Order: sequence, then structure tokens, then C-alpha cells
Amino acid sequence: MDATTFTSNDLAAAAAIGALGAAGFEVGPAKAVVRTLLDTFDGRLHAAGLRLEMHQAGASELVLRGAGVADAHVASEGAQPRLAADLPPGPLRARLTPLLDVRALVPVLTVRARARTAVRRDHAGKGRVSVVVSERLSVDGASAPAFDWAAEVEALPGYPKDTTRARELLSSIGLARTDGDVVDALAYALDIDLAGFKGSPTVPLDPYGDALDAFRKVLANLAAAIDANRPGTIDDVDPEFLHDLRVAVRRTRSVLTEGKGVLPADVRKEFRAGFGWLGRTTGPARDLDVYVIEWADYVAPLGPEGASALGPVLDDIVARRAAEHTALAKVLESAQYRRLLTGWHRWLSRESVDRSAKDASRDIATVATARIGRAQAQVLDRGRSIGPDTPAEVLHELRKDAKTLRYLLECLGGLYAPGPRKTFVQRLKALQDNLGEHQDTEVHVAQLRDMSRKLHASVSADALVAMGRLTEHLEGRRRAARAEFAERFAAYDTGKTELALHALLRSAGGRQR
Amino acid sequence: MKVLATYSIKGGVGKTTSAVNLAYEASRAGARVLLWDLDPQGAASFYFRIRPKVKGGTSRLVGARGALEAHIRATDLRSLHVVPADFSLRHLDLHLDATKRPTERLAALLAPLHDSYDVAILDCPPGISLASESVFGATGALLVPVIPTTLSARTLTQLAGFLEGLSGAPALFPHFTMVDRRRKLHREQLASLAAAWPAFLPSVVPNASAVERMGVERAPVAVFAPSSAAAHAFRDLWADVAARLWP
Repeated sequence: MDATTFTSNDLAAAAAIGALGAAGFEVGPAKAVVRTLLDTFDGRLHAAGLRLEMHQAGASELVLRGAGVADAHVASEGAQPRLAADLPPGPLRARLTPLLDVRALVPVLTVRARARTAVRRDHAGKGRVSVVVSERLSVDGASAPAFDWAAEVEALPGYPKDTTRARELLSSIGLARTDGDVVDALAYALDIDLAGFKGSPTVPLDPYGDALDAFRKVLANLAAAIDANRPGTIDDVDPEFLHDLRVAVRRTRSVLTEGKGVLPADVRKEFRAGFGWLGRTTGPARDLDVYVIEWADYVAPLGPEGASALGPVLDDIVARRAAEHTALAKVLESAQYRRLLTGWHRWLSRESVDRSAKDASRDIATVATARIGRAQAQVLDRGRSIGPDTPAEVLHELRKDAKTLRYLLECLGGLYAPGPRKTFVQRLKALQDNLGEHQDTEVHVAQLRDMSRKLHASVSADALVAMGRLTEHLEGRRRAARAEFAERFAAYDTGKTELALHALLRSAGGRQR
Repeated sequence: MKVLATYSIKGGVGKTTSAVNLAYEASRAGARVLLWDLDPQGAASFYFRIRPKVKGGTSRLVGARGALEAHIRATDLRSLHVVPADFSLRHLDLHLDATKRPTERLAALLAPLHDSYDVAILDCPPGISLASESVFGATGALLVPVIPTTLSARTLTQLAGFLEGLSGAPALFPHFTMVDRRRKLHREQLASLAAAWPAFLPSVVPNASAVERMGVERAPVAVFAPSSAAAHAFRDLWADVAARLWP
């Protein structure tokens, strides 16, 4: 959509309406209009160059703009869509589903106005250009914008001269012109970021700066991610809030662990314990989230009858998931949580902290190189010790080692050039995917067996048979992942990985090390 | 972008009526729609009050340096655009023949717009010609209006026979139009054709005065007679099409 917005602090909307009327525009009646911009918390639609709005002017309508000259419009039943499945079936849903995945749409900005549409038509009655004049503009939850009315000219394909004339007309009466629509203009005026929360663990770091300062900067960024994802987790908006909160907690704990010799020992001890508690507490709800998300894929091999027979099992999982989320919400609102995060923020924001740890004042690039090298050595040592008969627990330990390495690469990634970092992370990720599949299926097989025992008396024989088949299927996937491990690890434990790591470490701050 | 064409060898079966109303219903259902009027009569352009004019003529439209985007006109619906027709399209075959790969030309013209629209509907003139083959090369499915009469059914058989020998031929989405259930012949043909052709879309467009009024109102039926049987029929018909396109 190609729109231009005109505003004025001096002139009233009547000036624009009068000018448009005099120029032959038909000016329609004023209507109360509410425009709600919807996006995921992390701004997936914005990142894809799309804008989804719910328009309410009597009837409700969803409007999807961007990527091409035509907007998509579809009537909505009134309720604001939350998940992709709530969108009306058809191309709009087909476009948005892969982008949204499991994320929910949340209101980013709600604009209220009294709007009139002025249209200039040709002799056949065809509209060639339209101007929407919005008065009494306000944004929910925001201070009053610098302008309280605006005129928005939308370019229509095939009628460029009419669009140009309308813009010239509004400029000629002294209105200020900005590119974009009225939502853009209001967001800019009110300093509202439409891009969503970016929870990247990577922050810019000075390779010559003190390691302690770099670690604190990384940890403060992770604390912001925990804070940002807490309300959505409590309200159970979508499973990504809890996922992202947990990832931020795990990264925090990992950075605290790797901060030995950099961070004050007492701080490490206190907060490793605190974030360890938070990580453990948030685990059961996440496990059940994954179960629900993966359910359709899990039961697909059983066919529709098998999936249907497992209905009571899914009901049980959904009920337990809801209970775990209720318990989790209480944890995140508890005094223990508040004490942990308040204390943590207090330490992170202190101007002066204990710098007596032996590596605290060494440059971060040197410290990071040592920590990443050590983490890589740990992955290789443990991976090489694994044979066909090695117990599963050792693979789980290797998974943790690989995560530690990954977190270091992500959290201290600001030191390194993106290209070499990406190359190395891709190699590590291939190994992690295999370890993740092995562990997830093992956990879910154990949960299924546990459920079979619990539900034995209350579900049908068909359901028990289907659970048996599902367990068998997941066990097959686990065995396949275990069998594939040797090949995946061999592909990781190569000279290419070593070269990729060296290239990464050499890229720190653009200097050769 | 899903590319469809309202197509029939036979004239007067309701191709333009289907194209205009299905384009409208598709746009109301959330699709970004491009309606390409390929009929020199320009009726689809007329229904949307768009001047029937191909800028530079058909030679420029389909020629080697042609770009469809330059011919697109907005309608009064934000999600529905039209490439208008004019009388120069009567020479479409000749102009296509002058291009290097005439049967691929329409597909090549549509290709740059694939991310801009969800649906393109090509409203075709009757007959079977080089232009038709270019339409078959560009489309995923042909929306074939069929009046429940012997002659109309016969042309459907002819079309299916022709497409059989064509590699990468579009699917056939036949649908009944101008149906008058008071007539015994229509009722019989509806039953026998639907049984013989499972591809028939389930919804049936009635013979209705509201459809005839489109020429006076210069708008799709649902704009001026939203509660009419014809408006409901086109809405249902689009739902049938959409269910096949986005199962």
C-alpha cells in the first residue's frame, strides 16, 4: 500500500474537508472507527513487511497490507483473532499461518477516530482516488498525539494522476506531508516501536573491554528478556512466552556458570541457585506445551482412527498443561520470584561492583576465546566417549555441553563476525538437533508410559492400544535418533569444525588472535 | 498466486458473470485478486466501471516488452484489481503468435505478480484458439460454466478431450450456471452431469434477474442484491473453489 498522511497543528480538519469538497470529492458521513494493529509479540508480521489490522466501523474487518499493491480484506465475526487457526480459512490464513506458527496475535496499537471518506469519481461513478480524514485521533494507552486529525491519501493502481492531484491539493492548503499511513504517523509521533520485542541474546561488545563489564551487559540483556516474557507467560498468551523466558533463564544460568573467575563468587553462587530454581520450576509446563504442539505430528502415523482413540489422552495432557500453567503463574507472581529478580536487577544496575575475581579485568575477547575453546573441548571429549552401548544419560550430558557452547556463542556473539559465527553454529546445530530429538522422544515415551498406567482404568481398550502404538512409534524415533548419533557426531568432530571455530575466534573485533 | 480462468468453448454460458462475481467473492473472503479481462467485449471491465482501454493496444500488452503491472487498475474494492480489455484483444491470437513462445506468454506476463496477488482470474472469450492454449499454459484450473443443456454439456466433453492430450493441462472446475429448476430438462441434466463429472463444483448458480441487473448496476450481484439467491450462489461457489485451492 502506498499511502501519504497529511497533518496540521494550525488548521482544522474542516479546512481539508472543505478543500476536498470544492475539488469535486464526495465527502461521506463521519463514522467512529477503531483500527487495531495486530502482530506477534516478537513482530513477525512487521519483520515480513506485513501489517494486519482489525478495522471496526460498525462491522469488523481484517485488513492485511504489504508485499504487493493489493491489500487483503476479510470480514471478521467481531472477536479479535488470536491464533492462526482463528483467522478465516482461505488465502489470508494460508499466508499468515507459517509466519505465526504457534505465536498469538496481540494488539500492538489501537487507534480511535471519527473518520470521513472523500472520494473523487469519474463519469462512470468509478472512484479514482480516496482520502480518509480522521478526526479526534487517539491511541489507547498513550498520551495525546501532537496532531488530533489527519488526512490519508491512498494511491490506487492505475490512477497516479488523481493521487498526485489529491496530494498537491492537501499540500497547497498548508498541511504537512509524511509518507506512510496514519498508523505510521501516530507511531512515529508517539515513539511507539512497531517492530516487536527482539529477544536476541547477542549484544554489541567491545573486545578490549573488561570481561566483567561484558558479562554484566550480556546478563542485563537476558534479564530484560525474562522481564519481557513474564506477563505473556502468566497470561498464557502463547507457548513461546514460556519458551523464551526459559531460554533466557537457562542462558543466564549458563553465563553465570561460565563466569567463574569473572563474576564475584558470592553473586554467582546466589543467582545460579536462584535461576536454577526458576529453570526447574518452569520445566513441567514447557514439557506439556511441547507435547500439545507436537501432538498432531506424533499421532499422524497412527491415522485418523488412532488419533481419535487417543482423544482422552490428549484431554488429559491439555488438562495437566492448564494446571501446570496455573501453578507456574503463581510462581512468577510469588515473593520468591520477586526477590530473585529484584536482587538480580539491583546487582546488574550497580555502578560499582566487586572486580576482584582473577579474570574480571582481562579483556573479554581473551576470556571468551578461552571459555568457548574449553566448552568445545568438553563437547568433543564427551562425544568421543560415547559408543553404541553408552547409557542415554551420557547423551543427555552431551546435550547440556552442546547447549553451554551454543549459549556462549550466542551471548558473546557480539564479539565475532556474523559470517563465521553462523558457519560454526550451523555445524553445532546439526548435532544439537539429533540430541534434542533423542531426549524429547525419550521424555515423551516415559510420560506416555506413565499416563498409560494412570489412565489404565479410565480409558477404552482402543485408547490403550493406540497409546501402545504411539509409544512404539516414539520409541522407534528415539532409537533412530540414537542410531544416527554416531554419524552426526562424526560429521561434527572433523577438521572442518575446527577450522570453522578458529575462523570464528579470529574474527573477534576484526583482529587476529 | 493461484491462476484460474473462466473458460468455455461455447459462448453465452456465463463466463464473465462467473468471473466478476467469483473475483468479488474471492476478494471478500480475504484474497488479493487480479481479474484479467481477455475478452475484447470488455464486459468484466465494464461491470467494474473501468474504462475499457488497453494502453498501447494488445501488441504492447503481450509483446516482448509488455509488463502486466502497467495495465492494472484498482476497482472500488481495495483487494480487487482489473486488467481491462478493449477491442484490440480481438487480435490476441495474432499478437501472441508473434511472440517467441506463444503458449507460455500469458504465464510469463503473470509471473512477476505471483507474490502480489493470491488469485488471478482470466476472463476468456469463447472458442478454442492459440490464446486458449496460452490460457491453459498459465492456469492451474479452468472454471467452466455449464448450462444444464445438451449443447453446453457437449462442449465440456470436447474441452476435456482436448485437455487430455495436453501435458500440464489445468484442472477442470465445471459449475452449473443459469439453472432453472422449474424446467425438467435442467433437473435431469443437473443429475446426470453431476453423476458423470465428479469434478463439478457442488454449488449451482440460478437463472436470476439479479444477474441480468449487473449491467445496469455495473457491479457484482452481491453489491446491489446481497440477499438474492444469485449472490448466495456465487458466495457458495467461491467457497467450493477455495476449498479446492486451500484444502
